[in-house]
Amino acid sequence: MFLALLELRAARGRFLLMGSVVVLVAALVGIVSGFTTGLGDDTVSALRRMPATHVAFAPGSDSDQFARSLVDERAAADWDKEKGVDATPLGVALTRGATNRDVEVDLAAFGVEPGAFTDPGADRGKALDADEPHGIVISRQLADDGVRVGDTLTVDRLGIRLRVVGTTSRSSYGHVPAAYVTADTWRQIRFTTPGTDVRPEELPAQYSAVALQLPAGFADQKLPGADRRHHTATVPLQDAFAAAPGYEGERLTMTSIQAFLFLIAPLVVGAFFAVWTVQRTPELALLRAMGASRRRLLGHTLAQAAVVVALGTAVGAVLAFAVGLLVGERVPFSLPASSLAATMGAVVLVGLAGSALTLRRVTTVDPMTMLGAAR
Amino acid sequence: MSLRLDDITVTLGHGESRTRALRGLSTVFRAGALTALVGPSGSGKSTLLAVAGALLRPDEGHVLLNGTDLAALSDRERARARRTRIGYVFQSGNLLAGLTAEEQLLAAATLAGRRPRALRGRARELLAEVGLAHRSGHRPDQLSGGERQRVALARALLSGPELLLVDEPTAAVDRARADDLTGLIARTTHGHGCVTVVATHDPVVTRAADEVVDMQQHVPADAG
Repeated sequence: MFLALLELRAARGRFLLMGSVVVLVAALVGIVSGFTTGLGDDTVSALRRMPATHVAFAPGSDSDQFARSLVDERAAADWDKEKGVDATPLGVALTRGATNRDVEVDLAAFGVEPGAFTDPGADRGKALDADEPHGIVISRQLADDGVRVGDTLTVDRLGIRLRVVGTTSRSSYGHVPAAYVTADTWRQIRFTTPGTDVRPEELPAQYSAVALQLPAGFADQKLPGADRRHHTATVPLQDAFAAAPGYEGERLTMTSIQAFLFLIAPLVVGAFFAVWTVQRTPELALLRAMGASRRRLLGHTLAQAAVVVALGTAVGAVLAFAVGLLVGERVPFSLPASSLAATMGAVVLVGLAGSALTLRRVTTVDPMTMLGAAR
Repeated sequence: MSLRLDDITVTLGHGESRTRALRGLSTVFRAGALTALVGPSGSGKSTLLAVAGALLRPDEGHVLLNGTDLAALSDRERARARRTRIGYVFQSGNLLAGLTAEEQLLAAATLAGRRPRALRGRARELLAEVGLAHRSGHRPDQLSGGERQRVALARALLSGPELLLVDEPTAAVDRARADDLTGLIARTTHGHGCVTVVATHDPVVTRAADEVVDMQQHVPADAG
């Protein structure tokens, strides 16, 4: 290690340059990871926070199910009769509105039964109440946009007036802040045609899906039969994220960028150490001639790579974290410590893998080249 | 103490370029004596140094350093012998770039698993012995050719070697410095009592040597 560190100091310019590249790659990986998680959260956090295990859609729709699927109220009731199953109708609709204080907002209206497991309750103000059918509980982003408890929010074009009764934690769907209304109110938002005057009882008794809490083992054995009986297509909650608009496309894009960065990192580190090894081949031959074992030279090279990659990654991680602090909640960016640590661990591993590409050359250096006979 | 080469045969190269560099060479190098290996290029001087220094395993024969047959050792054991029993001064490229003269010595010591801190005093003593006490903090690019050879000599002596092998030490230095360096190698050999073998073309070294081995007397008939 002594010699490895001496060489690092002696060639600090080159190693600083290399370290800077590692810093930038690590920071970029961290930032992309933050945006991947942040965008994912921004798309499905309202679904993720639901304590459901599965979601039952209408059969026949393979994508964007929350917009396309309509499940009868009766299916929800039938699902609820299954032994050990807790089922509740769930409506999801994107809409927009304005408050009585002229704050205009987009919102993802989640129709839930008050008191059901899908009801998020309220951190401030009151939770939804069946006796107050036109109440709405808004997520914190809407409060940040200026909507207050006590405001009246009128849904655009439909004229449905909702009273803001409470706020709940941050949650969104398809990059739109979530708000929670009763299932009946949701049906009005979803099915009312602008300019018409339809009584609530005349609206279809349908919802986007049925949120389910299935008992252990149910999904493995009884789900196909239950789906047939209730005319539904049930997927695990995680799979239901793909039904959110743009979720799959965003994930694919961001994951592809990350994958490319994870390919680039070892190539960059490997290329540097390949050049570095070629440059110092005479010195490696000298060390071999003086009795350095192959194992020591390998350790020596890996120690240098580890110092450069680990320090570069650590600085890159700090940079990525700083970017997260800087952008705050203005953009969908989320980089929790565990995610940052895992991502940076992967950068270190691929970086070291890159340096490992040069190890063969290190071990095959011929000490005989130090003698006149070989020159 | 001595280095005894016994019936050494070495073949270099492969296929059509295969050449017998040494054939049946036997000689003895005494401890405390500076032996000059002389002979024209291609006569096998460097090959003999490589065999004696456990860098090259002979096809046949024995390399007995104070009773240990270096030719019979495993690769790992030969590397250990190079670290602990043999000191080298090469013709060029002797020093590690960017390290000071003192660090050159300490870095070599770490190869033998020794702690640099414990050897700092000894390293300074050796640099003083080769006349470079005032240059211990200088890097190779700040040293002259002769000074670099002196640093390499001090480094070779740090492990207290039984065998000191020197390849063309005066090839890259001027006449005056060649005299100084040769005198230093001779004094070091006598002072440390090691077996010293110097491959050289330089009459200055030959004159200062206690013994001379003319490689032409050992040139194989088929050497190219």
